[in-house]
Amino acid sequence: MTLQSLTLIVALASFSALAAEAPRTLNFTNDIVPILTKSGCNSGGCHGKSGGQNGFKLSLLGFEAEEDYEHIVKEARGRRLFPASPEQSLLLTKGTAQLPHGGGKKLEATSEDYADIVRWIRQGMPYGKASDPTLARISVDPAKLTMPLKGAQQLKVTAHYTDGSTRDVTKRALYEANEKAMAETSEGGHVQLFDLPGDVAVMVRYQGKVSTFRATVPLGAPVDKLPPISNFVDDLVFAKLKTIGMPPSEISDDGTFIRRVTLDLTGRLPTAEEMKDFIASKDIRKRAALTDRLLDSPEYAEYFANKWSALLRNQRTQPTYARGSYLFHSWIRDSLADNKPYDQFVHQVVAAAGDLEQNPPVAWYRQVKEMKQQMEDVAQLFLGTRMQCAQCHHHPFEKWSQQDYYGFAAFFSNVARKPSSFVGEEIVFHKRGIAQTTNIRTKAAVMPTSLGGSALKLKPEQDPRHVLADWMSAKDNPFFAHTLVNRYWKHFFNRGLVEPEDDMRETNPPVNPELLNALATDFVKSGYDMKKLIRTLVTSTTYQLSAVPNAHNAKDRQNFSRYYPKRLNAEVLYDAVNTLLDVESTFAGQAAGTRAVALPDNSYNQSTYFLSVFGRPDSSSACECERTQEASLAQSLHLLNAADIQTQLSRGKGRADRLTQDVRPDDDKITDLYHIALSREPSPAEVKLAHSHLQKKMLGKTGEEALKGKKEAYEDILWALLNTKEFLFNH
Amino acid sequence: MLSIYSKSSGSFCDGVSRRNFLKVGGLAMGGISLNDVLRAEAAQKSGKSHKAVIMVFLPGGPSHQDMFDMKPDAPSEIRGEFKPIPTNVAGIQICEHLPRLAKMMDKCTLIRSLADCDSGHDAFQCLTGRSAKRQPPGGWPSMGSIVSKLQGSVSPAMPAFVGLAPKMGHMPWARTGEPGYLGVAHAPFQPNRGSGTGDMELNGITLDRLGDRKTLLASFDGLRRDLDATGLMGGIDVFNQQALNVLTSPKLLHALDLSREDARNVERYGRGENRNRDDGGPRLTSHFLMARRLVEAGARVVTLAFSRWDYHSNNFGQLREDLPLLDAGLTALITDLHERGLDQDVSVVVWGEFGRTPLINAKGGRDHWPRVASALLACGGMRHGQVIGATDKHAGEPTDRPVAFGEVFATLYRQMGIDVTKAVLNDLSGRPQYLVDGHLPMPELV
Repeated sequence: MTLQSLTLIVALASFSALAAEAPRTLNFTNDIVPILTKSGCNSGGCHGKSGGQNGFKLSLLGFEAEEDYEHIVKEARGRRLFPASPEQSLLLTKGTAQLPHGGGKKLEATSEDYADIVRWIRQGMPYGKASDPTLARISVDPAKLTMPLKGAQQLKVTAHYTDGSTRDVTKRALYEANEKAMAETSEGGHVQLFDLPGDVAVMVRYQGKVSTFRATVPLGAPVDKLPPISNFVDDLVFAKLKTIGMPPSEISDDGTFIRRVTLDLTGRLPTAEEMKDFIASKDIRKRAALTDRLLDSPEYAEYFANKWSALLRNQRTQPTYARGSYLFHSWIRDSLADNKPYDQFVHQVVAAAGDLEQNPPVAWYRQVKEMKQQMEDVAQLFLGTRMQCAQCHHHPFEKWSQQDYYGFAAFFSNVARKPSSFVGEEIVFHKRGIAQTTNIRTKAAVMPTSLGGSALKLKPEQDPRHVLADWMSAKDNPFFAHTLVNRYWKHFFNRGLVEPEDDMRETNPPVNPELLNALATDFVKSGYDMKKLIRTLVTSTTYQLSAVPNAHNAKDRQNFSRYYPKRLNAEVLYDAVNTLLDVESTFAGQAAGTRAVALPDNSYNQSTYFLSVFGRPDSSSACECERTQEASLAQSLHLLNAADIQTQLSRGKGRADRLTQDVRPDDDKITDLYHIALSREPSPAEVKLAHSHLQKKMLGKTGEEALKGKKEAYEDILWALLNTKEFLFNH
Repeated sequence: MLSIYSKSSGSFCDGVSRRNFLKVGGLAMGGISLNDVLRAEAAQKSGKSHKAVIMVFLPGGPSHQDMFDMKPDAPSEIRGEFKPIPTNVAGIQICEHLPRLAKMMDKCTLIRSLADCDSGHDAFQCLTGRSAKRQPPGGWPSMGSIVSKLQGSVSPAMPAFVGLAPKMGHMPWARTGEPGYLGVAHAPFQPNRGSGTGDMELNGITLDRLGDRKTLLASFDGLRRDLDATGLMGGIDVFNQQALNVLTSPKLLHALDLSREDARNVERYGRGENRNRDDGGPRLTSHFLMARRLVEAGARVVTLAFSRWDYHSNNFGQLREDLPLLDAGLTALITDLHERGLDQDVSVVVWGEFGRTPLINAKGGRDHWPRVASALLACGGMRHGQVIGATDKHAGEPTDRPVAFGEVFATLYRQMGIDVTKAVLNDLSGRPQYLVDGHLPMPELV
């Protein structure tokens, strides 16, 4: 390139910049509000919160530009803007912290943003004409990219207006990565990856519009040896592993598999006999056969009823609710045992009517009292969509507006109640009338409207909840099947394809969209057959992969190249400890030996410290996240040192006592303990360790003393086993 | 990245960026181990100590006009039996039965215009800064739980959040601070009640035997930690270690064991009486000392409840009993914190759920008055020797600078190094919630 042509380009460039600059009149919505958003002025922590800050209120994230214009231009007797000398405007002197500002300095006086605001004031603070273009959408460039580990990428964000014009808004857009362990974003749209392979999405927001940048980050290791494919799950998981270059782990051994699948399907440990028979079996279909046997056991229904009972808020908040919570729990359990199709199961809950006695799912309405809450629970639990934000303002990460919120809520507008013949209970019924509610912003009536659908005018005698349930279970509903298969995927694989499992949105894409779609399609095609779905998941090779990493996949947290260990949840751990210590549970009002996973409601959390400290949910929300996954000091102290556990360890006729009396060789008894606790043979080193502990405790003792030492040694061995990670985790 | 822990944030909306905050938040998901946090914090420690808060709840709603907001010119049926006395700050007077406090008013701030009390007999608002009436899914977490979530433990043998209140006849007064939507991992340690209490002392085995068991466990616990990439296994290891520390070198137990304190200092606090006052809390001034010991040992937030202040009858007789004890315990605490150089790091707040009626009733008592209440703040590196707000001539309505509970919490969070305009935690519906809604730290105090 010659010097001359270079000069020409520079000249042209500056000319075009000038040309663009001079005549354009700024528009409040398109030019000023984005500055307020980017600077954080209208965030929920500052002026954007309801009620504003120190008398100055802005709409959250600038969703209501007209109101903001009122507040900035007209309120406070015009002090906020000073057209005679724009730089003296309170908006600027506060924003740049020249005057004391609770929020500190948000704006640099030398910045382009500052200059734009000055220019806008100088132009006479135009709001803009009705004919001005409005923002139609935003796009990100690139939208999708394969990037190296630790790579970086500058994004470019373009705003597209209704008149076809575009503008580069990279500097004023907001960025957030969905996997913070994989990537971080900085202001101005710079994406920096860390050293984790997989997929990461960056949500880009600008003035109520969202778009997503997706990066695939391959590891690039050779994937030449794949385990045999069992079904379409493996096709899609392995295809992904090939794309990113991450070889999967080996297939797990039989002992690991029977412990894993028994815990995941029934919430209990396999017995030593089950384990031994399974390992000894020569049947090549034995893993599938085991799955079928477990799915047909009453324990499967018990364990999954425990899951659903919490999500469906089966709470006993008052003593008179006991009858209802038992009935509802039984109904859930029986539905699962009968393998009632999922769409029917949901329909019967959502459209429940009548008396609890005849129709137990009415109990759902006992805990979920208000229309808005009913809608929010249904959206989150069955449709993986969190509508809560849209109650008071446009959803910040979603397309949902307040109109969508109230339209969806209107399906529950005619739910009515009257006293039942049982004390404290109510009969739920459809109150005859046209279903509708009011949008709190526009004050206009809103008819029932499905998500993304159009408003429905229903007949007065028509219960809108049936219409809703039919819409949900329609074959082409984009939310319903996806949400359930994702929820169940997480149950077995410890990570949803979308995470969190009930927050599915365009800006939070699945790690393997093809797999999620295939599972949903298959689920719909099967007639919403839950057992078939589970069978598909657990008989896949993917589910059977070992948790032990190979040279390449130790850091994998989202591609399912190996099994991700999960901690036994509160109830399962409680039962497992009882099994190991050979203790029969005693829950008030329950048969002795009732498993904690089979308890009907939340009321036992108060009486059983173990369950509450390990986070058994209180059934107070429709979110799985209520079950806390975090470790805590109180949990550690309890498992290591609880008086209850120590008492059970040392009691007469307890496991340790009986092992002491047992005349078989110690090695056999140690092996038994490993079978029960860990579903595997002990290694010679482990037998030796246990052995030397027994000897140590008996050293130099005879008779009663020696027996006492032996019993203590067995107590110690049991104590150590139940505190190993191998016991505490399903792996 | 741990700037969230230091108090260096200049002005409110500046300071920690959202990105940094999210990194710390990642602890919950196991992104970084607790060890990392402890190490990083140790490296960053700036003041003499970590920052902490001691929250003293006076169950029942103490009479603001008989303690901190005297109205000597009001008619006798309103002003009551007590006389105001001058304090060591010119122009501030308090009740004659708080003479020791009067001598250190320069180290305290009185808020006389708490204006948004809930009307229920409940410690909830004094622990969360929120109304109990409308709660998000999971419920509002208390301040201690929030601090535990955001900042973790200071010391491997000490929980971040300890609640000293025992069980009471009226349980809403006995709250120590629920974790709400943050989950049980952030519940307070409650040494004075509950089934978990017993877990802190060895149960039925000797220390030697625990040593044996530890060795045995270490050799059995061979599951490869790299099976878990989320950090949860590592987290359990850290807490197991912390638990064994609690059991073997019982820092926590020692903190609770007042016989390890200098006898003269114990004397200064006094003991009070170790039984609940009716259905309220105990009059244990030693809890003030315990709180200081816990903070010194590494606790970040300690809550306690003192006596019972719901005096519908014989208001003055009962106050004559309780005020001297409160005076002793509280002034001993403030003095102690100053003497140990903790006054810049440890904030103290003292309040009840509401104030009491201006008019004395037929039984010589005062009834519930949620229209206004007083609070006392001390230490914590705040500006003191002042009164904030005022009430009318009958101490019935705030007339100047009405203060919301949320403002006091915003101030306390700020002194903990937490920016309330930035920090958000998700409730169970996934909605990001700010720690206080619509309130900023009080400019009078910071």
